[in-house]
Amino acid sequence: MAHKNTFVFIGLQIIAWIIFVGLSIEAGGLLVNFAFSIFKPEFVPNLYQKLDLSALYQSSLWVFYSMYSFVLMIAVLKALLFYKLIQLLMKLDTAKPFSSLAARQITRISYFIFSIGILSYIARQSAKNIMHHGYELSVLNPFWEDSQAYILMAAVVYAIATIFSRGVEIQNENDLTV
Amino acid sequence: MPIIVNLDVMMAKRKMSLNELSEKVDLTLSNLSILKTGKAKAIRFSTLEAICRALDCQPGDILEYRGEKENN
Repeated sequence: MAHKNTFVFIGLQIIAWIIFVGLSIEAGGLLVNFAFSIFKPEFVPNLYQKLDLSALYQSSLWVFYSMYSFVLMIAVLKALLFYKLIQLLMKLDTAKPFSSLAARQITRISYFIFSIGILSYIARQSAKNIMHHGYELSVLNPFWEDSQAYILMAAVVYAIATIFSRGVEIQNENDLTV
Repeated sequence: MPIIVNLDVMMAKRKMSLNELSEKVDLTLSNLSILKTGKAKAIRFSTLEAICRALDCQPGDILEYRGEKENN
């Protein structure tokens, strides 16, 4: 059983690294495109993931930059979330898992997930409102369609973090029991 | 903490070192040190029994209650 758990643990670390690299590339690509849209607007029709926001760029710079900022912030937060997860997986000691470091890291992860959920929700509602004024933003929907799932996940992870903190207290007390 | 551990007093009376006691009660030096310096949060009955047997004493010889008022 212990051998199987180690194998699963290593598998999780590898998957987390792969996802982190993918999200970093996405965030990096979006950031570079953001810079290009400021200094070289002719590249706006050929953004990352073949996004064409040239019509939005022409109609309103304010809407373009605000929506793109949402997309960028969400992408960066997702990459940071997986970085925090990798840090947790690398520092977790399966022999003594209830450490204050792990408890703090899980709490931080729940904050990141909540931030992504809230930001996605705000972005989705903003996009919905802006679309009422005639702007076409449906191409950006994939970036914030799962906001409620993130908020739910944040609540679950926060509950786990709370239980983990209690586990740390119990383990510390156990360490000082002779 | 109101519970005082007088382990060093009993060890001096029985002329026993920490190493000797640790071997007799099968407890590590670090755990005994935690107990001796008053940092322990709890003690198991099995440990207390082993210490009392090794030092030929009663639990009351090792553990003392000193309330907050007495400390002040």
